[in-house]
Amino acid sequence: MLRTFKVEKLHASLIPESTLFKVLRYVDKENIETPSLLIDSTRVKEKVSLIGRHIKNSKVFYAVKANPDIKILKFLNDLKMGFEISSEGELGILSSLHVEPERIISSNPIKSLKFLKLAASYGINYFSYDSADEVDKLSEYVPHCNVYIRLSVPNEGSEWPLSKKFGVEIDAAAALLSYAREKALNPLGITFHVGSQCTNIYNWHIALDKAKVLWNEAEMNGIKLTLLNIGGGYPINYTKNVVSIEAIEKNVNSLIYDNFPKDTEIHIEPGRAVVGDAGILVTTVIGKARRSDEDWLYIDVGVFNGLMESVGGIKYSYIVESYKHTKSKKRWTLAGPSCDSFDVIDKNVALPEPDISNLILILSSGAYTVSYASEFNGFSIPNTILI
Amino acid sequence: MIKFFEKAPYAPVDYCYDVEEILYKGKSKFQEIMVIKNPHFGKMLILDEVVQLTERDEFFYHEMLTHIAMYAHPNPKKVIVIGGGDGGVVREVLKHKTVEKVYFVEIDEEVINISKRFFPTVACSIDDPRVEIKIMDGAEFVIKRPHSDIDAVIIDSTDIIGFARSLFTTDFFIAVKNCLTDEGMFVTHTESLHFHKDMVIEIQEILKKVFPLVDLYTAPIATYPGNWWAFAIASKSLSPRKTRRKFDIKTKYYDEEIHQQSFMPASLYEKLMQRKLQW
Repeated sequence: MLRTFKVEKLHASLIPESTLFKVLRYVDKENIETPSLLIDSTRVKEKVSLIGRHIKNSKVFYAVKANPDIKILKFLNDLKMGFEISSEGELGILSSLHVEPERIISSNPIKSLKFLKLAASYGINYFSYDSADEVDKLSEYVPHCNVYIRLSVPNEGSEWPLSKKFGVEIDAAAALLSYAREKALNPLGITFHVGSQCTNIYNWHIALDKAKVLWNEAEMNGIKLTLLNIGGGYPINYTKNVVSIEAIEKNVNSLIYDNFPKDTEIHIEPGRAVVGDAGILVTTVIGKARRSDEDWLYIDVGVFNGLMESVGGIKYSYIVESYKHTKSKKRWTLAGPSCDSFDVIDKNVALPEPDISNLILILSSGAYTVSYASEFNGFSIPNTILI
Repeated sequence: MIKFFEKAPYAPVDYCYDVEEILYKGKSKFQEIMVIKNPHFGKMLILDEVVQLTERDEFFYHEMLTHIAMYAHPNPKKVIVIGGGDGGVVREVLKHKTVEKVYFVEIDEEVINISKRFFPTVACSIDDPRVEIKIMDGAEFVIKRPHSDIDAVIIDSTDIIGFARSLFTTDFFIAVKNCLTDEGMFVTHTESLHFHKDMVIEIQEILKKVFPLVDLYTAPIATYPGNWWAFAIASKSLSPRKTRRKFDIKTKYYDEEIHQQSFMPASLYEKLMQRKLQW
C-alpha cells in the first residue's frame, strides 16, 4: 500500500498539484532517506520563465545563497540564467560549471579580499558597494570595474529584513558614487533590497522613489547612471497566498518606465522565488511527547539542520502522513532532533496525529534551508534531489 | 434551501449546490459518502465532499470514459474497470455486444451498495452475469494478473492526489501494459485542462515512458471543477483516434463524430506538451 497523506485545501492553494504529485510519486517509489529536499525541476523552470517577464530590459541573476546545490545550479545554467554570488565558495561551484563571467554579478556590499582576487581573475565585472573602504578594495583588486551603490530602503512588510546591515542614505550614496569615479571605477548604477519574502508592494514604490532622487543627484554630479538593480524580495507561498510576481513586476515596470530613462538596464536577483516553492522537505517523525499540557512532535529536521529561518519568523505548512480515520487535529510544538532546547521549529501547529516513522512534508522549503544548515549534534543536512 | 459547498482541494472555484434533501450520509472504511437531491441535477453522489456524479449529466463522463477505448478496439472481449463503484462505466462497457467478461474492481464496497440503492439507472448492469466484482485495490488486482488477455483497462477513480494515487504510479502503468493484449487500450481521467494542465501533461509524460502510443481527448463535464475534462488514453499498437467497429449502441452524447472531435488538434497538443500554453 502507498503512504496516505492528509492533503488539505490550504495545501492545494499553496503549491501546484503537479509538484505535490511528483513528490508523492518519488516518495512512493524510492526508498527515500530522510531528511531529503526534493526540488521540482518543472516548477523551477516555470519560475525562471516567469521572473523578469514583465520588466522591460531586465536580466535575472539567481541569488546562489538561496540554494547552492550543484544540481540546481547546473539546471539553471542550462537555462542560461545569470548568477549573483558573494564568496569564493559560490564562485568555485560556478567555475566548475564553466559559467561565463558575463553572467555573474556580486551584490554583497562587503567582499573578502580573497573573493575579490578570484572574482577579478575569473573576469567578473559587476560589484555592489556601500562604503569608501570597499571602493578602495575594488580599485586595488578589480581596477576599472563596474560598481553600483547599495541604497538603504525600508524593509517593512518583508519577513526577512536586510536593510539594517547594508545600504546608505541618498546623500552618502551620491558621495560614494563620486568617490568611485575618483578612484577610476565605473559607477553605473544603484541597487537596493526591499527585504526577503517581501509581501508589501509599497516597498518597491519607496525604494524606486529614493533611487530616482539619487539617480538625479548623481547626474548633477556628472555621473550618468545606466543600471538599476532591484535586488530580490519576491515572496512565495508559505502559509498563505501572497501577491504574485506578475503583479509586483507590472507595478515595478510602470514605476521604472515613468521615472527612469527608457534604456535603463534592470537587474533582478531572486533566490527564494526561484527555488523556494519548488522544494519540499521530506522528514520523518522521530518522537512524540506530552509535557505539561503541551504535545511535542519531533522530526529529523530542525532549526540547525535545515529550518533556521523558522527562528527568524518564517512559518511553514506541513502535510502529514497519517492513517487515523479522523479529521481532528492536535496543536503541536514542533521540534528538531538535536539536544538543544533552542531547536524548536514552531508552536501551536495544528496537525493530524502521525505515528512514529511517518513522514511529514514541509512545503516551500527549497530556499534558505540546506544552505543554512549545519550538522550540529551529528544530524545530517538534507540531501537535495532534483526531480 | 440548504446548500452544499463542494470541497475539491485543487479547484480554484467552489461549486455550491442547492440541497432539496439529504438522502444519505455515512462513512465507509475509506471515505465519507453522501447522496443529496438537487432541483436541477437530481440525485448526486458525493465522496469526501467532492461530487462524483449527478443523475442528469453522468452520461457525459461515463460514455466518454468508456466508448473511445472500446470503439478504438476491433473486438473488445475482456475489460477491467477499476473504481467507478457507481456502475456507470460497467453499464457503458456492457452495451458492446463483443464483451464477454468485465472485472469490476472497486476498493469501497459501500459505494456499490449506495449506488444500487439510490442510482438504479447507473448501477443497472452491476449484477450482469458477465461482471465479476472484486472488492480490492485496483492496482493490486492488475499487478497480480498473470496473463496478457485484457482488451481494455478503464480507470474511473476519485481525484489523483488521495487514495487513488496507487492508480497513477509507473509500476501500475507497467502492470496495465503487461495485462493488455497487443491491441489493448488503457484510459484514465486526468482532471481539468483549465485548472490542472500541469497534471494532464505530467501524466501524459509518465504514460509515454510506458506505452508506445499515448493521446489525449476531452469532454465537457458540467459538475467537475474546470469542466474541460481530460482523459489520457494509451495503447500498445493501435491509434485510439480511429474507430474500428460500426457505431451500434445507444448513447446520449458519444458517437463516431464525437470520437474524432474529442481528440485535441495536433498543434494544440504540441503546445500543451511543450508547456507553451499559458492559462
